[in-house]
Amino acid sequence: MAIHQDANRQLIQQRLGRFRWVALLVFLTLGVRLWQLQIVRGDEYAILAERNRIREIPLVAARGAILDRDGTPMVDNRPSYDVILYREDMKDRDATERYLVEKLGIAPEALGRLFDRNRKSPLYHPIIVKEDVGMEDISVVSAHQSDHPEVKLGSEPRRLYRYGKLAAHLLGYLGEISEKELASGDHPGARAGTLVGRSGVERSYNQTLTGRDGARRVMVDSRGREVGLLDEQPYVAGGDIRLTLDLDLQQVADQALEGRVGVVVAMDPRNGEILAMASAPSFDPNTFSPRISSKAWSAIVNDPDRPMQNRAIQNSYSPGSIFKVVMASAGLHEGALDGDPSVFCGGASTYYGRVFRCASSGGHGALHLEAAIARSCNIFFYELGRKLGIEKIARHAESLGLGSPTGIDLRDEQGGVMPSPEWKERKHGTKWYAGETISVSIGQGQVSVTPLQMLRAISAIVTGGKLTTPHVLLRADDGPGSWPVTDLGLEEAHVRRIRAGMWQSVHGGTGRNADVPGLDICGKTGTVQVVSRENKQFMRSNSENHSWFAGFANRDNPEIAVVVFVEHGGSGGMAAAPIAKKMFAAYQEKRYARPDAAEEPGASTRPGAAAASEPPAAAAPAVSEQPGGEAP
Amino acid sequence: MIKPDERLMRSFDWLWFLALLALSGSGVLAIWSTTSSVGIDSYFGKQLAYLACGIIAFAVLTAIDYRVFSDWIAVLYGAGAVALILVLLVGHSVHGNKSWLSLGPLSIQPSEFMKVLVLVALAKYYANLDMDHLNLKELAIGALVVFVPAALVFLQGDTGTTLTYLPIYAVLSCLAGIRRKHVVALLLLVLVSAPAAWFFVLKDYQKERVVTIFNPERDAKGVGYQTIQSEIAIGSGRGMGKGLKQGSQGSLGFLPARHTDFVFAVLAEELGFVCSIAILLLFLFVLYRLYLAGGEVRDKVGALIVSGVAALVLFHVVINIGMVVGLFPVVGVPLPFVSAGGSSLIACFMAMGLCMSVRIRRYVN
Repeated sequence: MAIHQDANRQLIQQRLGRFRWVALLVFLTLGVRLWQLQIVRGDEYAILAERNRIREIPLVAARGAILDRDGTPMVDNRPSYDVILYREDMKDRDATERYLVEKLGIAPEALGRLFDRNRKSPLYHPIIVKEDVGMEDISVVSAHQSDHPEVKLGSEPRRLYRYGKLAAHLLGYLGEISEKELASGDHPGARAGTLVGRSGVERSYNQTLTGRDGARRVMVDSRGREVGLLDEQPYVAGGDIRLTLDLDLQQVADQALEGRVGVVVAMDPRNGEILAMASAPSFDPNTFSPRISSKAWSAIVNDPDRPMQNRAIQNSYSPGSIFKVVMASAGLHEGALDGDPSVFCGGASTYYGRVFRCASSGGHGALHLEAAIARSCNIFFYELGRKLGIEKIARHAESLGLGSPTGIDLRDEQGGVMPSPEWKERKHGTKWYAGETISVSIGQGQVSVTPLQMLRAISAIVTGGKLTTPHVLLRADDGPGSWPVTDLGLEEAHVRRIRAGMWQSVHGGTGRNADVPGLDICGKTGTVQVVSRENKQFMRSNSENHSWFAGFANRDNPEIAVVVFVEHGGSGGMAAAPIAKKMFAAYQEKRYARPDAAEEPGASTRPGAAAASEPPAAAAPAVSEQPGGEAP
Repeated sequence: MIKPDERLMRSFDWLWFLALLALSGSGVLAIWSTTSSVGIDSYFGKQLAYLACGIIAFAVLTAIDYRVFSDWIAVLYGAGAVALILVLLVGHSVHGNKSWLSLGPLSIQPSEFMKVLVLVALAKYYANLDMDHLNLKELAIGALVVFVPAALVFLQGDTGTTLTYLPIYAVLSCLAGIRRKHVVALLLLVLVSAPAAWFFVLKDYQKERVVTIFNPERDAKGVGYQTIQSEIAIGSGRGMGKGLKQGSQGSLGFLPARHTDFVFAVLAEELGFVCSIAILLLFLFVLYRLYLAGGEVRDKVGALIVSGVAALVLFHVVINIGMVVGLFPVVGVPLPFVSAGGSSLIACFMAMGLCMSVRIRRYVN
């Protein structure tokens, strides 16, 4: 028995021997795997572990405010609240949904979509279920905090455009950064969902306004809950921007355009500071904050009057008779008016076999330059144009910046067209006809300029050749901008004659509706024929003439220049000049009527300006405030 | 018989015992490190108490002659089977496995102890056969001895523990002398029954576990999530580890079952490659000592017991560490001596006690 047992035992030992190698191989495999994980790829896994544990919570920097030249805030931020759902704290989804639908009025389908869209995101990722809620929802959520801890309020500053549609094109609006912009690297520190300026000042000074977001680095557990604060990098608030804009003038400009399609721009002709820039129709940038509904967007996009367009810089028009000021300057500068020749206007004249008419069918009789400007005689300028030739006209107009962007600190500015034989050859491949020069002489034909270009050119002429760079930035936290002024060196005697013509226009001429007693206003009207009489029957849309006025005050010391353009407004004297008058009157009120008025811009004289720079009174519900209702 | 014999005590393998203490000590350390913020007496204190019980069980079984133990195995085996049936009737669940019996304040997991009893029962049965090779009938009876309790464990829903019964049968049958044609037949049977089991027996969560092993990223928050987090924990420990209680993966809850099935990952994260390799070497050392002991045994039942225990330990270590390092699917198999849990720890010490009993009596007839 013992021998037998022994034999069996030896057999077992023999068989056991084979398992040694299996065991060794298995341990070797595990050892190699550990070497691979801990030694070879250890650093990589260490980073993964850190990321697992540390979460960065962005601290969004408040965007800087936009102030007018006196320091009155036009755009700043208001507190706002969102209703946020924390799914990881949700005990009973049905109960939560019922609460959200019944108490907070969220559409069940919208809620379902929200859940679907976020199904893949981790549970600790909060979902915004209702944005920018009112007092009612805030109190509902606060009252149900204990029975629905999964639904909370989150605060987020929202952009507030205090005056609604006022100067909306100039101020701009915000939108979520696009993937392309994110990839471009032009927006350091931006993340998906970051709001960036989409137009206007919000866009051109986006970097100054944005500030730098901070972050809280917190330690989280595997359910994403904060278990400790590691460090906190505070945000740096965005810088404020002070504009050259004068809120009082801007309000007059916007109100004057109420119900019309047109432009009013006021500028300091000495340095290019934009005092007011209104384009109508306008839009309310508050509807974009934080994001615009598709319904509101399609209403804006499908509006035939294109309210998003800043007509002051993004649309170009025939200048019509206000171009005669440029012609006068060209004539004087090029010596075509040496000896002060007079031209006889008989109401019509024939050039190159074609009859060109004057606005006065009976004719103005014999007139010199000043009267020709004042009474807007076509025949005088036809004759001047014929004498000058298109090259000289174009050269002078181009030197005044016509046909190219002014360089204003707003994006998407249009260039317009100052035609010349080279331009026509390049653009259409055809030769210049002499008859076209005659049309150009009164600002018709192919000449196409933005209202701002026209304002800048006329300002340059009447200031003796100071071609400014129009701008809206007065001062930013990171310093003033630099706005070059080119001196064209126009002769003072010439300038005085043009001013005199424009003065006469306002004092008894076509521009008399712009006159304000007490100011020495000079100006020039323009009326642009939209369609020739023969074509009128084919036009479905408004075929009323476009109406222009460009002027400045005072004659011997230009401080303010104004351009008004009204689409289909009728004659310049009837539609545009009265609007300019309102602007001059408002300027006079502000500049001269008050004894304490100071020369220094920015030293505010407006009552309440200092108080207005404070945030709105806490008692007033910020959401329902209608800043546009502050009527003068 | 329980009276310690001086001659026997001289054969006691202290190094072997110390290796076991080192392993269970590292387990206690890891449990303290990773759960003490939860409440020091909840896991750490209990594990210390279990360790004490385990050492006593080890001492008792070392003192008892393994032949006495194996003579009574029929009774013990029967009691174990009754306990498994009781579990199915009145047991309670932890994490979806209905594997626990309540005895007053204690909760015991009979399936862990049954492993040892099944092992001894099968060893006893095979040892009484006087042949070089097992015939089909003997093989079938052996299968019944193992698979009836295994089936009961599977019914509890505990796939991992069920799996650990397999190597007992496989290894003991090989050592007792299985014929090559029977091996081929058994493998064929597995090949045929595997698809059948896939479609008719395995539950969805069990299938899911098998599938995700081939693609852990498939469901980052689901089953594969555990594997990924475990790999991150181990890898981020690098060479020297992050230090005790400094493991973010463990203490912040990224690691699943960090004090039980994934305890190795906690050690690897906090004490690094140095520690994980040390644990592998300790296991290798224990297996080596078992191998030596198996070679010196005078009788067949002792040899089969020692080899069976070695097979069990090897299988547990491979499946558990293989799972933790991402080489195997996530199945609920504890790491012997290290994982938290009284039943497993005490059963392990009992098995080692049996082997020590075999070793110290190697020259006694």
